[in-house]
Amino acid sequence: MDLEAFSSQLTALRDRALTALEDAVDPDALEEVASAYLGRKGELTALLSGIGALPAADRPRVGALANPIRQQLDAAVATRRERLNSIALEVRLAQERIDVTMPGRALTRGSLHPIPETYREIVRVLGRFGFVTFDSPEVETDELNFQLLNIPADHPARDLWDTIYVEPPASDAATATSLEAPTVEAPRWLLRTHTSPGQIRAMREMRPPIRLLTPGRCYRHEAVDASHGFEFFQVEGLMVDEGTTMAHLRGLLDEFAHALFGAERPTRFRPGYYPFTEPSVAFDIQCVVCDGSGCSACGRSGWMTILGAGMVHPVVMRNGGLDPERYQGFAFGMGIDRIAMLRHGIPDLRAFLADDLRFLERS
Amino acid sequence: MRVPLSWLREYVDFDLSPEALAERLTLLGMEVRGIERIGADWSSVVVGELLDVAPHPNADRLSLTRVNVGAGKPELSIVCGARNIEIGQRVPVALPGAVLPGGRRIDVTKKAGIDSEGMLCSGAELGLTTDADGILILDPATEIGQHLSDLLGEVVLDVDVKPNRGDALSIVGLAREVAAALDTQAREPMVTVDESGDATDAHVSVEVRDPLRCPRFVARYMDGITIRPSPVSVQVRLMAAGMRPISNVVDASNYVMLELGKPTHAFDAARVTDGHLIVRAAEPAERLETLDHAQRDLTPETLLIADSTGPLAIAGVMGGAASEVTGATTAVIIESAIFDPVMIRRTGQHYALRSEASLRFEKGQESRLARLGADRTAQLILEWAGGRAAKGAIDTDPADPPALRLVFRPERIVRLLGVEVAAGEMRALLNRVGIETAPATAADVVVIAIGARPIPLDAAGAHTALVAIVPGHRRDLAIEADIAEEVARIRGYETLPGRRPDTLMPTYRPDPHAATDRIRDLLSGRGLSEVVTFSLIAPGDHARLGDGRDDPATIRATNPVTVEHSELRRSLIPELSRVLVDNERQRRDDVAIFETGITHRWTDGQPVERHQLGILLAGLASPPTWDAPSRPVDVADAKGLIEWLVGRVAVGRVRYEPATVRAGVEHPGRTAVVAVEQASGTPVELGRVGELDPRYLAAVGARAERAIYAVIDLDGLARLAPTGRRITVLERLPGVDRDIAVVIDRSRPAGEVEDLIHAAGGAHLRSVSLFDRYQGPQIGEHEVSLTYRLRFEPGERPLEEKEIDTTISAITQALSDRLGARLRA
Ligand SMILES: [Zn+2]
Repeated sequence: MDLEAFSSQLTALRDRALTALEDAVDPDALEEVASAYLGRKGELTALLSGIGALPAADRPRVGALANPIRQQLDAAVATRRERLNSIALEVRLAQERIDVTMPGRALTRGSLHPIPETYREIVRVLGRFGFVTFDSPEVETDELNFQLLNIPADHPARDLWDTIYVEPPASDAATATSLEAPTVEAPRWLLRTHTSPGQIRAMREMRPPIRLLTPGRCYRHEAVDASHGFEFFQVEGLMVDEGTTMAHLRGLLDEFAHALFGAERPTRFRPGYYPFTEPSVAFDIQCVVCDGSGCSACGRSGWMTILGAGMVHPVVMRNGGLDPERYQGFAFGMGIDRIAMLRHGIPDLRAFLADDLRFLERS
Repeated sequence: MRVPLSWLREYVDFDLSPEALAERLTLLGMEVRGIERIGADWSSVVVGELLDVAPHPNADRLSLTRVNVGAGKPELSIVCGARNIEIGQRVPVALPGAVLPGGRRIDVTKKAGIDSEGMLCSGAELGLTTDADGILILDPATEIGQHLSDLLGEVVLDVDVKPNRGDALSIVGLAREVAAALDTQAREPMVTVDESGDATDAHVSVEVRDPLRCPRFVARYMDGITIRPSPVSVQVRLMAAGMRPISNVVDASNYVMLELGKPTHAFDAARVTDGHLIVRAAEPAERLETLDHAQRDLTPETLLIADSTGPLAIAGVMGGAASEVTGATTAVIIESAIFDPVMIRRTGQHYALRSEASLRFEKGQESRLARLGADRTAQLILEWAGGRAAKGAIDTDPADPPALRLVFRPERIVRLLGVEVAAGEMRALLNRVGIETAPATAADVVVIAIGARPIPLDAAGAHTALVAIVPGHRRDLAIEADIAEEVARIRGYETLPGRRPDTLMPTYRPDPHAATDRIRDLLSGRGLSEVVTFSLIAPGDHARLGDGRDDPATIRATNPVTVEHSELRRSLIPELSRVLVDNERQRRDDVAIFETGITHRWTDGQPVERHQLGILLAGLASPPTWDAPSRPVDVADAKGLIEWLVGRVAVGRVRYEPATVRAGVEHPGRTAVVAVEQASGTPVELGRVGELDPRYLAAVGARAERAIYAVIDLDGLARLAPTGRRITVLERLPGVDRDIAVVIDRSRPAGEVEDLIHAAGGAHLRSVSLFDRYQGPQIGEHEVSLTYRLRFEPGERPLEEKEIDTTISAITQALSDRLGARLRA
């Protein structure tokens, strides 16, 4: 064999290989072809191993002939491989088509109850003015729930709160029936009828300036209907320092009403009555149902009362341990349930404690 | 208080629509809760004249009338069943087509064979009086053909008078408020008694043995009276004001109570022995039959009006049946007294008798009204019942007390209200409610609170301070702040500008609800629904939990609204179960709920509140999907929630211990105590997790066979929450996972394996998670294989394989030594 013959064999091999590569239609066939021509036991290797038959002078030129061909074939394999891979991927993707209109895999919904959420919203608004939560107990004494709030026993204003009382604890009951008179009168326990005892507790616990919110469950001996329950939720606000005025009360409540019921909603103050504030006011917003034109929800007045408020009564201030000549401030109290009802258009208070999940999951 | 506007107009002039008047009163503090129009539901009811009244030819009980209903109108032939009609009377006639209260339509109908062209109306049919038997007979001078609504129509305001304003529980009192609102003058009734005959003390004597509880007693005597119904106009007015007409004398007393706010009482003089009235405390074992015909056992605290033979009335609360005015009464003794308000209130509560009279007495009464009320009652009885009023009155304390002088500092009021109001304007405003003002003197003191030491005026103060001369009816005005309220409300709150708080901010306080809110957000984000349930639960709810009726820790209501809600919950479980049951009834069986609530109990004689988290899961763990079935919830779901929650809000590792169960409440084999172990210290017990006993579920009426619950102490959990969690910054060194399969005897709790792995795991062990549990032929019959993935994280230098191998050997050794465990290849 001479160099020319070798060269022509090489060229023929290349042409056959290129044709075979073109004929390979899937990656497996391609690798087979590649291996058959270029592998360790492939044709090219076999051909090159035959260079011993060449004259010695020609051998150094073999590389110059063979290397470009090997490179050409390697490149052709790579190109073909890429092409085939890309076709294969496209075929796979085409096969993987799903119905994209199918729904997702459902998660359980979860929900937050409107009462605590409404309170959180209230705190979010009033917190900007420095008000922070101050918790006060639900089981209270007559003294804190009434007397210290300027509602002595036998005061006609007691009719405003129908009270649920609590049997004294066993130890007190034992004392009461023993022959020896107790040295101090046992407290008369009750379920707080309002969050106002928090005022006394707060003033006794801290010095002005005070800005607090006392939220929570209250209890009254009331027949249950769409707007009354024996358990309901209130929040009490208290702000005391040396210069807090009724104008501040008005300003704060306006901010509050605008945040919760819309910046355009008209508000009004009108005189109210609470034994623990003087002067006392009721705070109304324009009816959220009829926007003031008069409807059954607002008793045709166009207004809805959302809270009661007033300047802390000097007697209450004293009972809280503060000098009413030096300190002054306001308190307000509102039904969290009522605010929630008005904001969410819930017609019946009873829905809150019924906990129908269909109701809760709409909240 | 129901206020007929025709009555109000007698004492004040106003030119406002009822709506406008209502708004003015509301803005002045007399909230109008409703406006009722009597007669608005009468259509085509006119005044007719009875031209003829003849027996009905076909029916004994009926009459056939001819009625003139106005000039130019045809006479009507109307059949009537009432007996009180006579020719010439003026009566209300419902014309054919008329509609009466309640939507009753009147048409031409045959009555016993004769067409009746309309109907003659009784007072009851028109809602005017209570008389349903007789036709309403109008004044003979009434214009014929007139619409009845023009004659007897009325507008009634329902005014919510606050408890401090007893003086406004009267037409005259509200007239004063209208006058203040409109800056005009109110009037009082012209009271003159046309006396004749003997002096009153010839017939009546009064002995007050308890002047503290009865500081003033006025009596008058009248005889020759005729008991009959009051004039129709009076009956109609009383009805409009919400009071049933009874008879002229009783109506006179009620009329005065509504008009002046002064309750009075008329005794049948013939039933008062010797005309001698005694005001005294009840004696032991005394009884009285009250007007409502109930026999009352009188307590010694009760103040009585008595005569020498025994009790006649419970003072200020209710009269006695024996001395009641009846149709046979010809002489009466009128009582108009002042009583101790607290005594009246207690008495009313004791006997469960709260009358219109006692409501007014318990708010306190102006002394002046004692005489005025007696005179006004006598005047009306003379007018409506005839007879004679004896000369003068018996009055145990005829001197009206002096007016209260209430010192106030205009600048203090300005400081309180936050709006500039000149002293002169304040004086003018106060004058509108009848409060005269005068300059204060240096000797005056300011009462800022009842019970507090009054503040003397300094020289400057005396110069600017003023004195309010408070009229006797304003018993609510006692301190300086009360004057501030009068100024503010008469000026009108619309004149009070709003101002955002601009005073000193308080010092920082953390939000005590922050941790709870975080937990609520987390759990709702995990698909649970938050519930808020009743705090008052039934004794049976506690009994089912094993806390019986005599358990001293339970806080019980003495006067619950219903026994079903009479004890403060000691556990969240009963109400969470109730929510499950209620939702099951709505065909909702998959329930995942939580509540953050308070539980209550007595501890050492004090009520103690605990903030708890309750979780209840029932039904399927997740909604079934189109490609995968769902599975029922189990205890591990609740545990997973707890571990995740603790991991999110606190620091520490959750451990479970088998719990001593509440029999019949908790599943005996599936209840654990939840504790959290922190790097140092003993594990903190936080609550329980488990499955409810199927017998408990059956007892509460649940359909679910299984329900999973957890109860976690929120205060305890909050204490485990760091104020600023330490976050380790890891170098860019990879962590290493090692899996080990531990084979142990099945009786050994898995919790111990995990504890040991943690104990022997060294400083780099970051987490241990169980990901396979195997029982079967590849291991022993009584064995279980638990496969854990241990995650090791490097510190400042890379972890070397050798180190981890050493640790794994140590763990293996510990497991083998302590639990007899072996590793499975
Ligand atoms: Zn409305």
